[in-house]
Amino acid sequence: MQLTYLEAIRQGIWEEMDRDPSVFCLGEDIGIYGGAFKVTDGFIDRFGPERVIDTPIAESAIVGAAFGASLTGMRPVAEFQFMDFIGCAFNQISNMVAKTHYLWGAPAPLVLRGPSGGYVHGGPFHSQNPEMWFVHNPGLKVICPATPYDAKGLIKAAIRDNNPCIFFEHKYLYRRIKGEVPADDYVVPIGKANIVREGRDLSIVTYAAMVHTALEAAEILAKENIDLEILDLRTVSPLDREAIAATVKKTNKVIILHEHSRTGGLAGEIAAIINEEVFDDLDGPIVRITGLDSAVPFSPPQEHHYLPKVEDVVRESRRLKAY
Amino acid sequence: MAIKKKNSKHSPNGSRRHNGASPATTIDLRTYSIPDLRLEHPDLSVRQSTEKDGHVRYEVTGNLDAPVPPIRDSKYLSKQQCIEIYRYMLLNRKMEVALENLYKQGKVVGGVYFGLGQEACSCASAYALDKDDWFAPMIRNQGSLLVRGFAARDTMMQYMAKADSPTRGRDGTSHFGDIEKRNMVSPISMLGDLIPVLSGVALGARLQGRNVAVMTYIGDGGQSTGVTYEGINFAAVQNLGLVLFIESNLWAYSTPSEMQYRCKDLAERAIGYGIPGVIVDGTDACQVYDAAREAVERAHAGEGPTLIEAKMMRMKGHAIHDAASYVPKPMFDFWKKRDPIARFDNYLVKEKKWLSSKENAELISEVERIIEAEREIAINSPMPEPESAEGGVYCEDGCHDIKPKYGTPKVKKGTGGYKETEAAVHLK
Repeated sequence: MQLTYLEAIRQGIWEEMDRDPSVFCLGEDIGIYGGAFKVTDGFIDRFGPERVIDTPIAESAIVGAAFGASLTGMRPVAEFQFMDFIGCAFNQISNMVAKTHYLWGAPAPLVLRGPSGGYVHGGPFHSQNPEMWFVHNPGLKVICPATPYDAKGLIKAAIRDNNPCIFFEHKYLYRRIKGEVPADDYVVPIGKANIVREGRDLSIVTYAAMVHTALEAAEILAKENIDLEILDLRTVSPLDREAIAATVKKTNKVIILHEHSRTGGLAGEIAAIINEEVFDDLDGPIVRITGLDSAVPFSPPQEHHYLPKVEDVVRESRRLKAY
Repeated sequence: MAIKKKNSKHSPNGSRRHNGASPATTIDLRTYSIPDLRLEHPDLSVRQSTEKDGHVRYEVTGNLDAPVPPIRDSKYLSKQQCIEIYRYMLLNRKMEVALENLYKQGKVVGGVYFGLGQEACSCASAYALDKDDWFAPMIRNQGSLLVRGFAARDTMMQYMAKADSPTRGRDGTSHFGDIEKRNMVSPISMLGDLIPVLSGVALGARLQGRNVAVMTYIGDGGQSTGVTYEGINFAAVQNLGLVLFIESNLWAYSTPSEMQYRCKDLAERAIGYGIPGVIVDGTDACQVYDAAREAVERAHAGEGPTLIEAKMMRMKGHAIHDAASYVPKPMFDFWKKRDPIARFDNYLVKEKKWLSSKENAELISEVERIIEAEREIAINSPMPEPESAEGGVYCEDGCHDIKPKYGTPKVKKGTGGYKETEAAVHLK
């Protein structure tokens, strides 16, 4: 069936709550209101207020409570109204949840999920992609799906995973893309990247909304006989090093594309992996296309200027192809 | 305890009362009470004062010569239970003396934290928990661990960063946990974060059909953090069985409680949370136990959280490196007379005559023998292999079998099958 990205996530959580009584949801306005973006719409009627819990506006309490419940063998799914607000719970996530298994051996099977990303003029506090705050925290899995199929398969995998998973949903994609999602039960493995377009000239390593930006650019460039390969990381921690190395080995040229700001961004880490794994295979400089080193500005022309665009990918691909 | 059931319909803190002077101008007035079990109310206060030499020091005022009050007889504890708590308090103190010696011998990695003067609070509180209840200690509650069945060697090996320590060298002090047998959540160094976590434990258990009590601690300093508020409020809103001890030990590292908060007693904050609050003398094991037990029973009955403020003084520095020279000496003298072990010793031996001097001496030497044996085991544990720093970041397949601890959660079949959601109005 054809589902929106949002519906795929909603269906994934619904199915997991149906099959496993230890799964429950908590977050702000997720009950009768169904969540700010309606991801949990109808859940409270179907699963009851015990398993669909409206919380105070207290992100540290939400994460702490989810973690505590997970210690009793529950599988909580906590919603952040916007992922920008995850910073309010940073200490709980970084020092409590992420370190638990390494330090004292307790598993923390919980999911922290919510909308992230720009292109919707949300302004500096409703447009961020804060995934790198957590990539730099060993012990967490960080997931950023790009398609309805992956979104459903990965949210189900995250709920079943025995580790704390942070699930970044891209709000620009919520209702803008539809895709085929099978009716039967399936999961997409965490930590595995996916080639969404095969090509021979150069590789775009990217994820989330930028996958669609890269695909658009690839259509334009195909007319110029520039053939892009696009690797969708799907999970940004742990990274699929093999897949990154394999695509660079194949095309010998690589652009890393992400939405969040440049300095200390994921592209730097991926460039280092390429350097370590396949340096000899490179036929050109590793190119980064990223957001600017500033907050995400509010006004549409400014936001447009801040964020990576199709024309950026087209321009940089032409430049790298000619290298 | 804090709350009479008949009042709880209106407010968990007390009763609503009519000011009935004239029916036409009836005003609802709320009255709240914070029960105070203490038999004395020290009036000491600390402030900064600039002295003639230009130095700024802390100065204490109040009645520093007040007589030591008696121990309040417990409503619940038997003779045997009192002696058992006393024994744990002795173990707590002797273990920390042993740790101090290990530090002086250069065997401890990092510092040592003490609960000197707080043994009654740590031990009598944890003693009030039932087997299926959960707890999480803070750094001065090393006695709670002993009560909950951990051996002194566990804490000692943690301090020495040994391979056989509960965290196998990965963390020190009382930073370890056990979700299988002893239901302990490992603390982290950041203050207040355990409160929502313990609340979540109670939430998880309740979803599985069990009301467990979840006990944790916070200091008069630590309660200043925002997550403390978030955690207590979450427990209050969800009516979870949190038993929170605020250990008002007067000093947060070097900062006196006068510079930490403005209200008279931290237990008053319970009013703002809408939960019962109670004050106890933290150096009186019987008061600590009684308040804790009533809170635990409230938790088991599904009646929600309780805040217990235990008043005492931290009788050493923040950690072993800190001589606490900022504490006015008369305060040490005042609280030394209220040493929880000396008071309980006096109560059991002289007042109640539940222990003869000979039995007491035997008990003390038995505890010393145990600690010595534990110390030997701890010392003889090897240091971890360097490579053991690796692995275990993730829970890999098969490393844990995760299932609900108290049984399959009851699933309510609600109304409505799955159907696609409609977009929010502004997204249409």
